[in-house]
Amino acid sequence: MVEFTLPANSKIGKGKTWPKADGATNVKRFNIYRWNGDDGKNPQVDTYEVDMDQCGPMVLDALIKIKNEIDQTLTFRRSCREGICGSCAMNIDGTNTLACTKFIDEVKGEVNVYPLPHMSVVKDLVPDVNTVYAQLSAIEPWMKTQSPPPPDKERLQSPEDRRKLDGLYECILCFCCSTSCPSYWWNGERYLGPAVLLQAYRWIVDSRDEYTGDRLDALEDPFRLYRCHTIMNCSKTCPKGLNPARAIAEIKKLMIQRQF
Amino acid sequence: MSLETRLARVRGLGSAKDGTHHWWAQRLTAVALVPLTIWFAVSVAGMTGGNYAEAVAWVGSPINTVLLLLLIAATFHHVQLGIQVVLEDYVHGEGAKIAALMFVKFACAILAVASGYAVLRVAFVGG
Amino acid sequence: MSTQDRPLSPHLQVYRWQWTMAYSILHRATGVGLAVGTLYLAWWLLALAGGAESFATVSEFSGGIIGRLLLFGWTWALFYHLGNGIRHLFWDAGKGFELDTAAMSGHINVAFSVVATLALWAIAYAAA
Repeated sequence: MVEFTLPANSKIGKGKTWPKADGATNVKRFNIYRWNGDDGKNPQVDTYEVDMDQCGPMVLDALIKIKNEIDQTLTFRRSCREGICGSCAMNIDGTNTLACTKFIDEVKGEVNVYPLPHMSVVKDLVPDVNTVYAQLSAIEPWMKTQSPPPPDKERLQSPEDRRKLDGLYECILCFCCSTSCPSYWWNGERYLGPAVLLQAYRWIVDSRDEYTGDRLDALEDPFRLYRCHTIMNCSKTCPKGLNPARAIAEIKKLMIQRQF
Repeated sequence: MSLETRLARVRGLGSAKDGTHHWWAQRLTAVALVPLTIWFAVSVAGMTGGNYAEAVAWVGSPINTVLLLLLIAATFHHVQLGIQVVLEDYVHGEGAKIAALMFVKFACAILAVASGYAVLRVAFVGG
Repeated sequence: MSTQDRPLSPHLQVYRWQWTMAYSILHRATGVGLAVGTLYLAWWLLALAGGAESFATVSEFSGGIIGRLLLFGWTWALFYHLGNGIRHLFWDAGKGFELDTAAMSGHINVAFSVVATLALWAIAYAAA
């Protein structure tokens, strides 16, 4: 039976409050999920009071400020700080997005920061992404051909065919979408999830790829593809404005097309 | 803790190469049910307060009999397919899942045949 | 430190409720509710086939307060599920996936379900 409540070792307790620096007036409170594997305790939520007059505009700026000046143990992934690497994906104010492109001002009141939902937590805001990575490699996200390339140039593609890749190739694999999907929460072991299915479609629809049929065969499964019930949390939450729900619908249309 | 690699776990037993038929049947019955349920709901609402003889006459009228049989077939097929998806989503123990699926499919079959029988009996034998 | 000790990050507990998942779970809830309602449909038909007496029993129940509440609920569930089903059929055809379109169609469906329920019951009361 699916567990709608958190298992015993995951229930969140009350944590510490880290008060503001002296003299700070423009203060915002950040409630951040904390867990480490060394103290044997359950996860908890720590509250940090941050001086917004001394902080950059994005949630990531606040996290880095907290780590630099208040609590060095706060742990999170980050890299490019410009919304292109996908590292800082997390649940902020109830939805999944990138900390580096989320304006603090967009959150009224206190800012709640949690790791991506229904994931095994390595530490604090760092989820274990090995399963989603394995799912990505399982769909073979590279060009598969039998024909050799032309001897003197690249494999050609018309502008119309190239346009079909728009909205698909831009995915930064942050996995905000997959971890926003209730179906992926309940069946993430077998359902591939929106991020991986969007990439699967990116290769299915690439005119240069010659293994479309095999790719569709690999997806035609009650769980791998058909756990998608068009809930659309994925498209709503994508920080890059992509539409995985539509891509998945196009895959299902191809499944029908090859039957009739 | 299994020593299986993540990739092996994710690849699992491979693709079932199946699932489109279920998806299509769900859509097919859904499309059929749009006009059928509207017709049924409006007809029954219009018969409120009617007596037994009127109900029998309505069911027995040839077009209504045919539409009712179609409604029953489409409804129980659609229900069975829909509940199957719900059970697959939430029931994860293999044994419990199979048992639950069998129960629902049998229940829908029984209710469909019973309802169809009732309609035919009223149509041919009357009240 | 074993990976088995790792906690599961919160999901329903923290995810903000949005029109996307709300309209979707309502579709499932009304579907399951209607599936239960088919038992009532089967009972009604079998009672009709059974004769005037069994039909009188089901009619009496239907006219009673519990019966009417159930029927009202099933009416709304039917129209919500039907309208949302049509919304799904458009998606299956690949249409209506822009976020504002999908949100609007969801809101329109809620309005439709309420209006249609009231309209059907107006028909029923007029006929009675």
